[in-house]
Amino acid sequence: MSAEPLQALANVGKGESTRTLLRVVILFLIAGAAVASRLFSVIRFESIIHEFDPWFNFRATKYLVANGFYSFWDWFDDRTWHPLGRVTGGTLYPGLMVTSGAIYHALRALTIPVDIRNICVLLAPAFSGLTAYATYLLTNEMTPSPSAGLLAAVFMGIAPGYISRSVAGSYDNEAISIFLLVFTFYLWIKALKLGSMLWGALCALFYGYMVASWGGYAFITCLLPLHSFVLICMGRYSTRLYVAYTTWYALGTLASMQIPFVGFLPVKTSEHMPALGIFGFLQLLAFLDYVRSAIPGRQFQTFLWLFAGGTFGIGLAGLVIATSAGVIAPWGGRFYSLWDTSYAKIHIPIIASVSEHQPTAWPAFFFDLNMLIWLFPAGVYLCFQQLADEHVFIVVYALFGSYFAGVMVRLMLTLTPVVCVAAAIAVSNVFDAYLIVKSPSTEDRQVEDVSEAVAKKAKSGLKSTSKPVVGVYSLISKGAVVSAMTVYLLLFVLHCTWVTSNAYSSPSVVLASKLADGSQHIIDDYREAYQWLRQNTKDDAKIMSWWDYGYQIGGMADRPTLVDNNTWNNTHIATVGKAMSSKEEVSYPIMRQHEVDYVLVVFGGLLGYSGDDINKFLWMVRIAEGIWPEEVNERAFFTPRGEYRVDAEASQVMKDSLMYKMSYYNYNNLFPPGQAQDRVRGARLPEVGPTLDVLDEAFTSENWIIRIYKVKDLDNVGRDHAAASAFERGLKKKKVMKKRGPRVLRVD
Amino acid sequence: MRSLLLFFALLWVTAVSAISTTGDRLLVVLDDVADKATYSKFLGDLESRGFKLSYETPKSESLSLFRLGERAYDHVILFPSRAKGLGPNLTPNVLLQFINANGNILLTLSSASSTPSSVISLLAEIDIQLPADRTGLVVDHFNYDAASAADKHDVLLLPPPSSIRADIKDFFGVGAGANEVLAFPRGVGATLGSGELLTPIVRAPATAYSYNPKEQAEVLDDVFAAGSQLALAAAFQARNSARFALVGSAEMLSDTWFDAEVKTVGGKAAKTYNREFAKRVSGWAFQEIGVLRVNWIEHHLNEVGATNESNPGIYRIKNDVTYTISLSEYSWSTWSAFSVPANDALQLEFSMLSPFHRLPLVLDPAHSNPEAAAYTASFKLPDQHGIFNFKVNYKRPFFTNLEEKNTVSVRHMAHDEWPRSYVISGAWPWIAGIFATVTGWLAFCALWMYSAPTDKKKVIKKTQ
Repeated sequence: MSAEPLQALANVGKGESTRTLLRVVILFLIAGAAVASRLFSVIRFESIIHEFDPWFNFRATKYLVANGFYSFWDWFDDRTWHPLGRVTGGTLYPGLMVTSGAIYHALRALTIPVDIRNICVLLAPAFSGLTAYATYLLTNEMTPSPSAGLLAAVFMGIAPGYISRSVAGSYDNEAISIFLLVFTFYLWIKALKLGSMLWGALCALFYGYMVASWGGYAFITCLLPLHSFVLICMGRYSTRLYVAYTTWYALGTLASMQIPFVGFLPVKTSEHMPALGIFGFLQLLAFLDYVRSAIPGRQFQTFLWLFAGGTFGIGLAGLVIATSAGVIAPWGGRFYSLWDTSYAKIHIPIIASVSEHQPTAWPAFFFDLNMLIWLFPAGVYLCFQQLADEHVFIVVYALFGSYFAGVMVRLMLTLTPVVCVAAAIAVSNVFDAYLIVKSPSTEDRQVEDVSEAVAKKAKSGLKSTSKPVVGVYSLISKGAVVSAMTVYLLLFVLHCTWVTSNAYSSPSVVLASKLADGSQHIIDDYREAYQWLRQNTKDDAKIMSWWDYGYQIGGMADRPTLVDNNTWNNTHIATVGKAMSSKEEVSYPIMRQHEVDYVLVVFGGLLGYSGDDINKFLWMVRIAEGIWPEEVNERAFFTPRGEYRVDAEASQVMKDSLMYKMSYYNYNNLFPPGQAQDRVRGARLPEVGPTLDVLDEAFTSENWIIRIYKVKDLDNVGRDHAAASAFERGLKKKKVMKKRGPRVLRVD
Repeated sequence: MRSLLLFFALLWVTAVSAISTTGDRLLVVLDDVADKATYSKFLGDLESRGFKLSYETPKSESLSLFRLGERAYDHVILFPSRAKGLGPNLTPNVLLQFINANGNILLTLSSASSTPSSVISLLAEIDIQLPADRTGLVVDHFNYDAASAADKHDVLLLPPPSSIRADIKDFFGVGAGANEVLAFPRGVGATLGSGELLTPIVRAPATAYSYNPKEQAEVLDDVFAAGSQLALAAAFQARNSARFALVGSAEMLSDTWFDAEVKTVGGKAAKTYNREFAKRVSGWAFQEIGVLRVNWIEHHLNEVGATNESNPGIYRIKNDVTYTISLSEYSWSTWSAFSVPANDALQLEFSMLSPFHRLPLVLDPAHSNPEAAAYTASFKLPDQHGIFNFKVNYKRPFFTNLEEKNTVSVRHMAHDEWPRSYVISGAWPWIAGIFATVTGWLAFCALWMYSAPTDKKKVIKKTQ
């Protein structure tokens, strides 16, 4: 068998400049692939903002572009959380909006007028290209193998775990913060390797950007100190670590405190205490280092023990006292739910009610990462083999990333970068071993020695001196392994494309369904209803709905809402929950007090759309019960046998609740008598539908997904609403005179 | 040409506004149009006040309170009818709809005929009860007209009505002469529910009671109502300020009783107050008196050095603001400045979910004139951001309901509105600390750079 043509092909890439050119071309292709695979939804539907949170970000961006940075910074939003309003400028992470705003203005300066919506829609794909590049850089710090970086970049570019939050239109904080996360890690590794203040400062800069963009910055805040701590425990304290860490911590903390939403949290909350602790610890170590060089060994021993014990005791006592005195806030609920997955379910229903806060199901790992998930441990193992400072980082990151990803679905996102890096190291290792056409000889050994020497120089203290000459001699085995690997890689691409196209590219504002003949049918009820609100209601008509739809109503219908997806005020949400789950007579005063004009409910019974309000109803009840345990009782919504039913056997409390009535009001009229069917819950509804006294049906969308009700005004002649609508229906008022008992006298 | 047109238009407007504030189309519903002669003085008075009267019978085909979805009349007088119901054009639903569309109704009853069921249902909806079996007669064995009802005691002589509470302005008895009494012949009394929209105008004396002369002529076992619980004339004002007045005796509005000479039980001769009373009741019902109008509302920032623009949509917490509301009262033909009754107060609420401030509004002479009175209040906004309402909620019996809500947002302090650090005395040690560190650092650098190394050995050690 002749290896000549292959060798000739391999020779093309031998020259340094050719390699660089190739790398640049490949990186551009990777970025292109990353962007292209995220465009399914734009091509299939249109350039539209997806889901819920992105609608708020989009609205905020529009405000920023229209009013400038300073009024955005001081933005008091009086169209959400009516009547409380929201200090939006001070309670959001402005990084995303400012990024889009900057791009918008830059393009305009270049006389390329692009609609802000398109910038917002395409921001996430654009940043995914950058993320691929950042992953390339990070991986290159880990291994001398030139292919690992490119493989990591390609993995990062198309891994569904990352695509899930960064398809076109998914204009969320994560869109840019994963790039910032990876790039900050790269800069940290760089700073640590070089002991450079410049890289440390750059790391702090990007950390600041990250803080400005996403609440997930706490992951960095905890991971870097942890990495440093592990290094110290391994006896690897060095001035490089000292310089890198102190530079990052001092500048990064200052930078993070500039964000109004973060403010003094870095010195007040428990989440940020490890970083501060390690900062102090490093100062002590540096001091001890100095003392050791100044005084003799024995004295130093006693000094060390006394000093270490003293500081530890004082530090611990200080922490306990400060926490119990309330200077340092104890851990937040979301944090506890990271350790105990059932914590939120018991204590904070509002956190548990969000599906992305649920623990991950194990198939999700395979679904989101495919073959990377089994290459991941191999990569981590390879890191153990070399175990320089940066490899410790990968190990620590891998451990914590996997734990958090297992606890909360959305944290799959933070795991994905390290999985890509580790898997790329593993794959490149395989390829480096098997893609060499020549059989091993003494020459090869020399080459290997050289590369080993390089590796040795990069770090210290590894016992890899007595490596026997191992090599693959048979081309068949090489071919088998390489082709198997290639097939895996191709399957990976197929899987990624399939997952992206089928699972992650639905805007959820527009629902797509297949007709019998296979053609696509668009169900556009949401936009139909929001458009109706926009065109038919007063500009300041307050809309009450469950908080899931708050951002969309604000963004698409441009109407004030009572609660929205920024769930900062549990009581206000519970108020809405109470209004939805109580009788009309109880709900009406609540709605009057909050000046509600319209109530919006989502009802999927006709179409079989399972994400509707009746299915979310128990969360409303639970959240309301958390505040008003005497008035709302979850048990009362179940049948005596403990079933959650909506048909004739539903409990009376359920049937009297406003949500039930709004969902099924007039629904019977669609069907022949007694045939009304709820397709989501598979229930046959009672023959007589509910009556509504305090609300008027205002709008029902084509497929009945959205139903909007108008809240009636107080009765003009002072009756209660039940009496008024009974009169409207032609029922005579019962004669009061027939009643026995004491006469009610009028007192003036 | 245009100005001439405008002039005529204005002339027409003033001519129209010389009567009721809500319009001059008055429908009189009588069983027989010929009966109007009985009430000629009353109707003539109305006509002379500027109303355009139309007459219809309940059975008339052409009778319709609405035309093309709009009110065809502004006011309706219903005289007693002998019919059991009032026909398809005056169902309780139509009448209620008429009230909901800001129409005013003056309803009169009579003990001579049973009340139509349509009227009974309407009254039931607004919480006024009539005696069972739709007939009743109010008698008083101590206050009757000795001249005309010496036997039956069914013509009541009452003192002119006065206000039922000290803080309520007296609209119905102010024009009464010293020797005038209100005659209430053969009327029906009603009981009122305890709703705040209802107010009695004339209450029966303590000795009066209501009975059914047909069934209870022999034995009276169950009194429908007696004494002051029995309202002989009552006022109802809906939330939209549409008015409904009930007069228990249609006869008291007839020509006979307008200037009749009556004799009290004590034998004193007196004149009746009925004509003036009829004018005032109809005037109230048809929005000629007790009508309030908000001319304008203005609120502005009340701070030194700020541009105090009118009615801004947004304020900041702890701003000083001034709120002014201008009110006029209509009385028969003119708008005049509204003055709050002596024992009453006009209040301003600044509220979000619940009031944060409830302040008295005081007369502001600078912005008042004979036609409009301005009331004002100045205060500091609460230290709470949110969407607040300036709310004036003035609902008093017989006066138009005032419920004015002006929504403003109250924002938080912007980042550049806080006092600078050097203004806060508590920050001075810290600022001093910063400068001490800066100077110390500079001094150290200077010392480091300009002090020559003394020992070569030491220098080598340092560079390592």
